[in-house]
Amino acid sequence: MAIPIEAQGLRKVYRSRVRGRAIQALDGLDLKVEPGEVFGLLGPNGAGKTTTVKILLGLTFPTSGSARLLGLPAADPASRRRVGYLPEGHRFPGYLTARQTLEILGRMSGMGAPALRRRSAELLERVGLERWADVRVRKFSKGMTQRLGLAAALVHDPEVLLLDEPTDGVDPLGRREIRDLLQAEAARGKAILVNSHLLSEIELTCGRVAVLRQGRVAAEGSIEALTPKTSRYRLVATGVDESLLAAFRESGATVERVNGHFDLGARDLDHLNALVDRLRASGGRLQELTPVRSSLEDVFVGLVRDGAAKEGARS
Amino acid sequence: MKALAASIEEVFREAAARWTLVAYFALSSLFILVFAAAVNLDVVDGALAGARLFGRSIDLGGRSVEVDQLVLGFESGFSGFLYLVGTFLALFATAHLVPRLQEKGTIDLYLSRPVGRAPLLLSRYLAGLLLAAANLVYLIGAMWLIVVWKTRVLHPRFLLSGVVILFTFAALLAFAFLVGVVTSSTGVSLMATYALFFFGAVLAAHDRIAAAVSTEASARVVQALYWVLPKTAELGQATVALVAGKAAPDRLAHFNAAGVYGSTALFALVSLAAASWIFSRKDF
Repeated sequence: MAIPIEAQGLRKVYRSRVRGRAIQALDGLDLKVEPGEVFGLLGPNGAGKTTTVKILLGLTFPTSGSARLLGLPAADPASRRRVGYLPEGHRFPGYLTARQTLEILGRMSGMGAPALRRRSAELLERVGLERWADVRVRKFSKGMTQRLGLAAALVHDPEVLLLDEPTDGVDPLGRREIRDLLQAEAARGKAILVNSHLLSEIELTCGRVAVLRQGRVAAEGSIEALTPKTSRYRLVATGVDESLLAAFRESGATVERVNGHFDLGARDLDHLNALVDRLRASGGRLQELTPVRSSLEDVFVGLVRDGAAKEGARS
Repeated sequence: MKALAASIEEVFREAAARWTLVAYFALSSLFILVFAAAVNLDVVDGALAGARLFGRSIDLGGRSVEVDQLVLGFESGFSGFLYLVGTFLALFATAHLVPRLQEKGTIDLYLSRPVGRAPLLLSRYLAGLLLAAANLVYLIGAMWLIVVWKTRVLHPRFLLSGVVILFTFAALLAFAFLVGVVTSSTGVSLMATYALFFFGAVLAAHDRIAAAVSTEASARVVQALYWVLPKTAELGQATVALVAGKAAPDRLAHFNAAGVYGSTALFALVSLAAASWIFSRKDF
């Protein structure tokens, strides 16, 4: 079976028309997204996320390297037959209704009228726009337009979805619905590439992510792998007084009181168990002890700062 | 095919929604109304009644002219005016087709569908031609019917003027598409195309201009430009000659030559091919 999304050694250099100055947007990017996977593309502004998506869709041409969708070269219009795309800052014609928008874009993807009528109604209900089906798009809020954009990307039931900031402008409830929808599509075997600045959304939606930095993949892997456990724990307990905290510190632990819980740092598992024994011995009761993971934001900020520092050292 | 039909439909929906189509047809209706009012004047009614009463001729400044001949003369002369109005109105209504397609956020929606870039551009071109053709059928058809109703003279050659107008418009729209693809600006497309129209008209006097310029090289450039650019003045004259038929004066006879149509068609083809080539290689 063909790999849904594949990029190898992608390079893209933009040249300014007037001065001929070259700007390297991508510098040998490799990427692979498998069926049933929700893959997140992260990176600071100008890291090459949008350029990658545009090359995959044939909107922009690579300087070198190759991009393929479902085994077909990205430049071949046929490669987009089973691909749905939600662009960032899309501008649906305001004079069309939601239903007409889906019908025109569905027909442009080769769908026939009867199937399109059924599919449009089904999708408008799925994204919560059934009551707005015959209202002109110019009257839609940003969140509603975003929901319509998602429906437009799904209208021809594609096998691959490329989504640029899918939850941009959507309220929390809507974000949850979109996340659920994407998970459902992935469970049906679809390959989904999400390009977003909202790290929390990526963390909740994607199984695997790649962090881009200066046109290259700086880190790639599952969320679990990229956010390793630390030797820090979140402790909630009763009967913890200052003398116990002092005893913890004397044993070599670090401990801080943070918003109703303690941030506890232990050397290793034995040390942690010794601290728990000490708590119990002093009459305290353990309510919660959870290992603290690095957040995706920590990883992201670390990678980007690291890159900036290296760049600074080189220059 | 479904995709291209959808693209054409979208152009018509857009034209209707943005009032372009309404304004286009409203202006044409205004011309038709003014024309209907003019042929309904007492002086015209009187002359035609006299002609019906005393035979098929009308006295014009002491010269007796057959009604058929008068209608033919009027229609051929008026077709020259329609050539100018029809072409300019059509360009005004369609010059936005490419710049609006290339707007950020819009182009992504269309190019992310399984449609080739050149077919997408050509579908917009075809939609522009259909839009103009529909208006020309309305404008010229209505005027012809008014003349037939008023004079009872059936002279279908008048309808041929629409064909030449559409041909000229097709050549100019191809150039507007080329400018639109390069600049993404409706204003620049319109200005450049109108400039081309007038420059082409000026070059009708290419022999005299070439004789007047100081160097041989300049004269050659003028002659070359004449053969490269659309023959807008000649096509206007050709419209008149086509409508007049055998009654056309000898000085107009050569305007319906293959060279005039052929070189203009070649210009359109090259413009359209260049527009498609650039559009197919453009980064969005």
